[in-house]
Amino acid sequence: MRTNVFALDPLFLDDVGFEEVGIVLLKVVVAFVMLLVSVMLMVWFERKFISDMQNRIGPNVAGPFGILQTFADGIKLFFKEDLIPERSDRFVFKLAPYLSLVPAFLVFVIVPIGGDFGEDGDGTVTWFGHETFLQVADAPVGVLFFLAMSSLAVYGVMLAGWSSGSKYPLLGSVRASAQMVSYEAALGLSLAAVILKTGSLSSHDIALAQTGGIVNWNVLATGIVPFVIFLIAGTAELNRPPFDLVEAEQELVGGFHTEYSSLRFALFFLAEFMNTVTMSAIIVTLFFGGPAGPTYAGPAWLWGMFWFMLKLLVFLGVFVWFRATLPRLRYDQLMDLGWKILIPLSLGWFLFVAALEIGDNRGWSRVVVAIVSGAALALGALLMSAAISASRRQRLDEQAESDSPVGAR
Amino acid sequence: MLGQYLPILALGVLAVLFAAVSFVASKLLAPRRPTSAKAAPYECGIVPTKEAPERFPVRFFLVAMIFIVFDIEIIFIYPWATIFEGLGLYGLVAMLIFAFAVFESFVYLVGNGALDWGPLKKQVPRTR
Repeated sequence: MRTNVFALDPLFLDDVGFEEVGIVLLKVVVAFVMLLVSVMLMVWFERKFISDMQNRIGPNVAGPFGILQTFADGIKLFFKEDLIPERSDRFVFKLAPYLSLVPAFLVFVIVPIGGDFGEDGDGTVTWFGHETFLQVADAPVGVLFFLAMSSLAVYGVMLAGWSSGSKYPLLGSVRASAQMVSYEAALGLSLAAVILKTGSLSSHDIALAQTGGIVNWNVLATGIVPFVIFLIAGTAELNRPPFDLVEAEQELVGGFHTEYSSLRFALFFLAEFMNTVTMSAIIVTLFFGGPAGPTYAGPAWLWGMFWFMLKLLVFLGVFVWFRATLPRLRYDQLMDLGWKILIPLSLGWFLFVAALEIGDNRGWSRVVVAIVSGAALALGALLMSAAISASRRQRLDEQAESDSPVGAR
Repeated sequence: MLGQYLPILALGVLAVLFAAVSFVASKLLAPRRPTSAKAAPYECGIVPTKEAPERFPVRFFLVAMIFIVFDIEIIFIYPWATIFEGLGLYGLVAMLIFAFAVFESFVYLVGNGALDWGPLKKQVPRTR
């Protein structure tokens, strides 16, 4: 299903007056509050879920089932002394939490959280006589905005570590920037397959193109591989286990935020969990149809919201499950996985999907296209493994040279 | 057209305000008794003797450089992916040539060990 490249939020098609601005403010405030509450619940959910998996009880004192634990911790952090280390670069040290937090808030704007995405819905709702989408903004650059904001988050991490003037934060932030940068390439390339299927960058169009049954969901339409790559790269982008080398406690104390205390630390923590929630929401939007799902009795947009929340919860659970199950990678394994497997694979798969699509349009046989592409992909894999073994041989030779008594000085 | 970005701007302002107000609140509520021990870099209780290193392994720089190559490739791929149907076979061939050029230089980099990390694992002979 093809949609218009420039489908925009109908709210702004006429002149922007007081009512439109009112609706915008309402949406923004609701999204803001929802994000904060979702972080509170997510932290609680993670701690509770993990303690269940480890046969512990977990937080159970503050509020029913300990649900207010995060809230209590947050208030506590307001009362903690705010330390600025003497060797730090004070301005950048204070700036870094903003650079982490603001992008974390902004990414969520492109996620459609509800609306009628049933059999013949177009995802709009009518509020106060104005048609609009149930998402904060439908920027025409949509998905690019998501990539831009996740790149900006690297600055927060990098500057925080650099400005602390201390060993561990510096090492942590260098690791973090290299890791986030590496996996961003894989993230972007796996996302290209989704754009290929939809023909639009707008997140609303991507959700709309996936309506009408599970077979239309991008996870199946693009052939699962881009989804798996996106999930792995997304986890690495979030610095969540098993990719949490950034704050590997045994090696780096707390990583880039070692020197941060009190509220400055709280804001990093908030941004981290907000990014987790947003990343799950974006995975749901891009690959699992967002709010798409069958609608029954009652308002259709509420059903959209229900399906969205259900899918979101599954992915939040998956992220926590990763943390409970998988051991942390070593740094060279992390880099090898990102560069030597995920990036070539996502590039190859993208070209494969593109060839299939163009072949379909021109009436080529799918089998022939698949065989030719498979041969090309195999050739690429062969080249790649030849390169890896060549570099390994080179290193072995160098090592043998430096080990042998003849070569020694 | 630019109206579409109005909510993003509004949320951005709200986020900055939230952070700023929290800092003000923390400043009013939190105690402030700095000592030289507290202000020293944290090294698990050991008094720091050296400055934080100012030089990095050059590999991190290499990673950043190679990333730029792929980032630019992505920037070309996205617009192509939105309109590839109109370009037809010509577009596909052009993209294949472009992707091959990037991939082939990437293979060269990997073959030269630009992306090797850490010490080499020695194959220890198994003892039975």
